[in-house]
Amino acid sequence: MTDKNFNRRDFLKISALGVTAVAGLNMIRKAEASSAVEGAHQWAMVIDQSKCTGCGYCTLACRAHNDVNPDISWNQVIQVEKVNGKDVFIARPCMQCAKAPCVDVCMVGASYYRPDGIVMMDYDKCIGCRYCEAACPYGARAFNWEAFTGPNPAVPQWGEPEIERRGRGVVEKCSFCYQRIDRGLKLGLTPGEDADATPACVVACPVGARLFGDLKDPESIVSKILKERVSYQLRVDLGTSPRVYYLPAEPAGTGVQG
Amino acid sequence: MKALSLKLPKFKITPWSLWIGFLSLVIIAGVCAGLIVFWKGLVVTNLTDLVPWGLWITIDLSSIAVAAGAFSLCAGVYLIGLKRYHAIARTATFIGLIGYTMALFSLLMDIGRPDRFWHALVYWNKHSLLWEVTMCVTLYLTVLLFESMPIFANLEWLQKKFPKLTAKMKGVHHYAPYLAVVGLGLSMLHQSSLGAVYGVLKARPLWYRPDISVLFIISAVAAGMALTVFVSMISARLSNRIKVDDSILERVAYFIGWILVGYLYFRFWDALSMTYTYEPGRTEGLSLLTSGPLSFNFWVGEILLGIVTPMILLLNNRTRNLPVWRMVALLLVVGGVVAYRWDTNLSGFLIVLSYLPGQPTISYTKYVPSLIEFLAGFGVIAYGIMAVSLGVRYLKVVDHSDVLEEEEVSHNKEAKAIAV
Repeated sequence: MTDKNFNRRDFLKISALGVTAVAGLNMIRKAEASSAVEGAHQWAMVIDQSKCTGCGYCTLACRAHNDVNPDISWNQVIQVEKVNGKDVFIARPCMQCAKAPCVDVCMVGASYYRPDGIVMMDYDKCIGCRYCEAACPYGARAFNWEAFTGPNPAVPQWGEPEIERRGRGVVEKCSFCYQRIDRGLKLGLTPGEDADATPACVVACPVGARLFGDLKDPESIVSKILKERVSYQLRVDLGTSPRVYYLPAEPAGTGVQG
Repeated sequence: MKALSLKLPKFKITPWSLWIGFLSLVIIAGVCAGLIVFWKGLVVTNLTDLVPWGLWITIDLSSIAVAAGAFSLCAGVYLIGLKRYHAIARTATFIGLIGYTMALFSLLMDIGRPDRFWHALVYWNKHSLLWEVTMCVTLYLTVLLFESMPIFANLEWLQKKFPKLTAKMKGVHHYAPYLAVVGLGLSMLHQSSLGAVYGVLKARPLWYRPDISVLFIISAVAAGMALTVFVSMISARLSNRIKVDDSILERVAYFIGWILVGYLYFRFWDALSMTYTYEPGRTEGLSLLTSGPLSFNFWVGEILLGIVTPMILLLNNRTRNLPVWRMVALLLVVGGVVAYRWDTNLSGFLIVLSYLPGQPTISYTKYVPSLIEFLAGFGVIAYGIMAVSLGVRYLKVVDHSDVLEEEEVSHNKEAKAIAV
């Protein structure tokens, strides 16, 4: 036993080192306290519940353009209540939270913020631990429990795939059709106004219940309508700051929900 | 090894060979199940997007918990200076090493892309609790490997073949106090961050509280020490060659009894504080535990059999000194902590809190592991038991002979002193 060499002073020295290291680590963490670095655009979506008929075209268009497994919905349409005898629906894409719990918890940084506010998935990094699924309050994430092989039933009726199909074992989710936005911007188009630069679900909606645009641009359709009408976001109490806004079904906007 | 290969041809059925044979069968079944998981993917499990973590996470959390005997006993021996207990710290260190490798096996199956396990080490999101867990696992596993070097040096074959190497491996023992400091920090961080993995999720109100981290440490220390003492006792009972100093084991068992008092106290306040006012998701989660489908696990598995019964058995002098009762109590402690991990994981997932506007509505989901999950899980457990069995037999993992000798020497000295 050589414990004689190891006295109280050594112990204190080592402990002090350890404590300093942990404190240092925590400071790094605070500095990096994750939230988006704001870029020139801040994309947002507005979904008008007074118009939505629950047809589900948005989900199908999404499946086709993003080549999503028919068992998975990046954009789910749910019937919520009846107002004046009319069914009210809620469509739920990814909320693209400004303070996204999924980005916080992802151990490999496969979920990350784009400067334009989109919460992106790096499918090449994801190891499939599914911690993000546990963290997301909106159930917006789906795991590929098995490989999606064979033809996509939503293609070609609802569109052509624009991004690579995800393999087995990774978590996937809605990305506001970033590929359409990026391509559109390169072509000089305006997302939200030009169909080719706008998310597929917005384009597919037959009643115009979905609007898309840049919150940084006061003239964009979403900035204007959010100024005019009463809107709400889902579970704002959690502090996630979602970028999907809902216009309530009640026309006067009296029943502010959420 | 020479002795082994000579023995092999005239194979004799002994309790030992039956035991190893049985464990091998379970391991083989587990390996087959694991291969099916790698081949077919996680679709062969009963996990869903609502309950993405299940049986394997429980095994992972539990094997890390029973590994906690290593850091706590090493800290006791090398930092507090309870040198008498160094023999049992050795046993705990070996169990810790095996526990951590068990956790790695179950995690490797549980992630969707096992081929990308190394991403966890290369791509860092320091904000993630699972990053902290990964770092602690990796670093502490390294510490455990170093701490176990002197144990592996006991392998006779290695001693004969590489005498210099084994001498060096034994020399690592000199650094034991330093390793104990590092191990204490890493292991405590790890145990608590496993609790915090759940505790930081605001979307799951039942988990969203700081208590799980604290409870995970306390319960892990109880379970880790309990398994260490149990393994020491059962080894000494099954083999005449293994000598243990029962007074040491008895003291640790007594200490476990007091840890259980603390654990019960914190668990009580943790649960009781959740009963005040209605909070969507949390109140339902608690009632899942206290009166719902998990209530048997909670009241009987966790509280009655897991804490109260062993607490009484270990604090009562008479029952503690009866080996059978002490061993029963120690096993109950381990079982109770496994039940706690299972309940903690599941109670949070079974509650589905709606994100729709208005009054949050609650729905419930279900999870029962699939056959493949059970087979693979049992395979991991059987591997752990087999590794500890082999360690006890070939690496002298349980060996108190030097403690007993020292005591004899000091006894003799005292006797001489008195005689003089």
